[in-house]
Amino acid sequence: MSRPKKIGSTLPKRDANVIFNRRAALMSFLGASVMGVILFRMGQLQATNLISNEYTDAADENRFDTRIIAPPRGVIYDRFGTVLAQTSKDYQVSILQSEVDDLEQVIARVADILGYDAEWVRRAAIRVRGGARYEPQPIAVGLNWSEFNAVNVRLPELPGVVADSTDVRAYPYDIVYGHPIGYVQKPTQRDVDRALEDPEQGQTRAMYLRNPHVRVGKAGLETSLEDMLHGQPGYRKVIVNARGVEMGEDEGERRDPVRGSGVVLTLDHDLQRVAMESFGEHSGAALVMDIYTGDLLVMASAPGFDPNLFVNGIGQSDFDVYNLDEKKPLFHKCVTGVYAPGSTFKMMVGIAAKQAGVEDDWSVSCTGGFYYGGRTFHCWRNGGHGRMNMHDAIKHSCDVYFYQAALRAGPERIAEVARAFGLGQRFEVNVPNIREGLIPDPDWWRENRNEGWTGGLTVNYGIGQGAMGVTPLQLAVMAARLGNNGYAVTPRLVREAPGVSDPAQPPHMSGIEPEHLARVRDGMFGVCNEGGGTAVRAGTMNLVRDPETGAMVPLTPENRSWAPVQIAGKTGTAQVRALGANRGRHYSTIEWRFRDNALFCCFGPWHEPRYACAVVVEHGGAGSAVAGPIASRVMRETLLRDPSRRAPARLAQLEAARGQA
Amino acid sequence: MSTLTIGAGPNTIFERFRKLNWGIITILCALAFVGVLMHFSVSSGAWTDMPLTHGMRFAIMLAVVTIAAMFLDARFWLAIAYPLYAGALLLLVGVELFGATRMGAQRWLDIGPLSIQPSELMKIGIVLALARYYHQLDARKTGTVLWVIPAFLMIAAPVALIMHQPDLGTSMLVLFAGIIVMFLGGLLWRIIAAGAIVAVGGAIFAYTSILHEYQRERVDVFLGITQDPLGAGYHVLQSKIAIGSAGLLGRGYLQGTQSQLDFLPEKHTDFIFTMIVEEFGLLGGAFVLALFGALMALTLQVAYKARSMFGKLAAAGVAATLACYVFINTAMVIGLVPVVGIPLPIISFGGTAMFTLMAGFAIVLSIDMHRDQHGARGWLW
Repeated sequence: MSRPKKIGSTLPKRDANVIFNRRAALMSFLGASVMGVILFRMGQLQATNLISNEYTDAADENRFDTRIIAPPRGVIYDRFGTVLAQTSKDYQVSILQSEVDDLEQVIARVADILGYDAEWVRRAAIRVRGGARYEPQPIAVGLNWSEFNAVNVRLPELPGVVADSTDVRAYPYDIVYGHPIGYVQKPTQRDVDRALEDPEQGQTRAMYLRNPHVRVGKAGLETSLEDMLHGQPGYRKVIVNARGVEMGEDEGERRDPVRGSGVVLTLDHDLQRVAMESFGEHSGAALVMDIYTGDLLVMASAPGFDPNLFVNGIGQSDFDVYNLDEKKPLFHKCVTGVYAPGSTFKMMVGIAAKQAGVEDDWSVSCTGGFYYGGRTFHCWRNGGHGRMNMHDAIKHSCDVYFYQAALRAGPERIAEVARAFGLGQRFEVNVPNIREGLIPDPDWWRENRNEGWTGGLTVNYGIGQGAMGVTPLQLAVMAARLGNNGYAVTPRLVREAPGVSDPAQPPHMSGIEPEHLARVRDGMFGVCNEGGGTAVRAGTMNLVRDPETGAMVPLTPENRSWAPVQIAGKTGTAQVRALGANRGRHYSTIEWRFRDNALFCCFGPWHEPRYACAVVVEHGGAGSAVAGPIASRVMRETLLRDPSRRAPARLAQLEAARGQA
Repeated sequence: MSTLTIGAGPNTIFERFRKLNWGIITILCALAFVGVLMHFSVSSGAWTDMPLTHGMRFAIMLAVVTIAAMFLDARFWLAIAYPLYAGALLLLVGVELFGATRMGAQRWLDIGPLSIQPSELMKIGIVLALARYYHQLDARKTGTVLWVIPAFLMIAAPVALIMHQPDLGTSMLVLFAGIIVMFLGGLLWRIIAAGAIVAVGGAIFAYTSILHEYQRERVDVFLGITQDPLGAGYHVLQSKIAIGSAGLLGRGYLQGTQSQLDFLPEKHTDFIFTMIVEEFGLLGGAFVLALFGALMALTLQVAYKARSMFGKLAAAGVAATLACYVFINTAMVIGLVPVVGIPLPIISFGGTAMFTLMAGFAIVLSIDMHRDQHGARGWLW
């Protein structure tokens, strides 16, 4: 020990002030270091950003949101420019989830104002939760002005509720065009999934489809012409806050949507409406076709349905009304309904028989039945028709004659003729679910039924019964090809649209002799105009021709001397269950769904054929009794209007006029 | 031993007013002004009562602080050191037993119409109590293990109580302030080393068994153990985006996209520094940090000049508390430390932190003014 210790203390000497000053300096240094680290870190964050733009990008991603502007859908016009489907304003109430604490409670208050029940609230809440949090999700759509207003004035007390108007597809003539035009609906998950299959545009497309305002075609022309009608979506780059509320817009980034292209149909609104009305309570289909251009002037399927109900999602009860109806309102019977052609098939048998060498004076004696292959095939007329040649057989629709004519022609030849006239053929008319029907022949029979064709089948073939089925559209084509003297005209529904060109002159049908055609056409004339014809009443148009202008006008006492306007046609009555099961029973005693289908096809005017018409009335009974009058009314209206001779509307002009308005 | 030397000091009111530490007051005002400016921006440029409240609150507190500094000298603070600490500790126990739970934590004590957070009181209490403890302790005794124990307990008791509320941020502040005062008081280095070892062990123990789920989540996210951009990590992520995209001069006043569009959470309280940087850039942030740095330096200068050990330690303790607030808050918003919920003093909205710091500066200003006083015991002593 070199240094002496201080008395009274064993502890080392420490000066508190010195220690404090030293340590305070140390702490200051430490503090300065920490501050340096913090400054360095801030600089580092910015340096990172300078190099990678990471944080600026993230900030932009936060604040910018792309909002889609759905394009106005193209307008659908009839051939004279009547608007059949357009985009109009819909008032609706939506909810922005991110602004709402208690979703059910807010929806319940809206329901209170609009008078909806608790079940509605529950469903609406489920729908809203299924949608994006930061975008308004519609809860009540299709509101009228007063309902909309009732919610609108109470918005200040309803946080997160948005009341606005959006574009909505509207079908002004509701049930009249439900089938051909169809409707648009929200894209389904399947649409989204299908979009995602495209590796390049899929993501963008799927995002677009999930937008609550987007609608795509889900039935009829709206589906098949989707690409044409939809247009190009636009978008807005908006500035949003953290809750997704729009705070502003970057106008420079805005891309306006491109309106979908308009489409002019071949339909004539006035005729279509008459056709739909003509059915009354009946179920069935009616078509009117221009026999040279193939323009479908009428494409009616009854009963109709209201496409407007589907646009915002149809309610279960409404859907059930349609879906459970045995008359199948949702079913497009013109192209999807397949019916045995019955006696309307006899023209095909007649032509085939002529081809097989049956002479004009070949006749059979109808005694009410025909014994063949161990059984008797009855004629519809119990007492029989007596001696019949082809003209009379068509006129009276004698079954026995055609049993034997079919045996002479043979099933192959009949099938060939029927197909040449369009039966069993697929015609693309831009609507979905087109069915081909079936014209069987012995080859088909062997392949599909695993049994040989028999003569009995041929006999049945003669009156359009058995395993054959045709659509009303095919019947119309058949009538048209009979009417135009054998041109293979094909039907069309779209007259003018981008990429749709005028139809070429239809080719002459090969292998059909004009002379053979003339025989059956004469027979069809007889049906409508000669004593004993099965459709004389339906075939009488009560129209006369103005000898100077050629215009067809209603028959009045003053113009009785003018030449009458006539049509040619054929009735058909087709059993829907085993042959003869309804025999001898009164119609009212047969259950509706077992009653015979009634058919009628015709063309006219006889002096200068231009229009063909086909009508099928499901379970309507005899063709002459129900189908005939409907066809008669539609045909008379067609002849009066004579739409093919009037100048059709031009799409360019219609669109230009709309653009100005 | 436990005496303050009191001599001739400023005696007239005018003289006392003139002798106030105007450097500290100027910086406090500058910081409060930054606060008002930012709260105006938080209100999206609309004149709401938020910036007004902030400014008024500061003005009233500053008035009280200057008056207190002029009329109360170090003897007063010395006298109330232990009672204040004891009272705060009792209230903390009271919180533990009868406290009101708000926002998931039991921090408030409702006494009649008053609603107080005893943990805030403790931030000042611990500084004063430890300053007094080391003031009276012979310098040689500070070097012995035995005399460390009372100081250690004085820190440990409130820290444990506050952590149990749970309020990790405040308990950290109390812990750090206490340790710094102990350190400045002359704690031996070998005890510090031993303490550091225990602290690391304790931190691991705390993480596994004391920390609450939400606290552990924050630590996990911070350490990168879990990725959780919309949960606990969302705040920091948005804050980093704002700071990283700000640039040298920022997006401009009222123009910060992250702040103005509410992507930045708690922008008026814990994350106000982010908003400052986003709108005024790296330079703006550095300027505010410089203001705080200057405030710490001036406060340390007060400590350096004080004659008594109590004065030195109390002033340095306030500086340490301020430093803890500022550094933890800024480190938190740039993702250097986990989010613990500590506001930026004087600038962040809210009366509690401002009250604590202003109370601290009342002590600092009073010690500064009366540093030269020496002589007989005063009226409170």
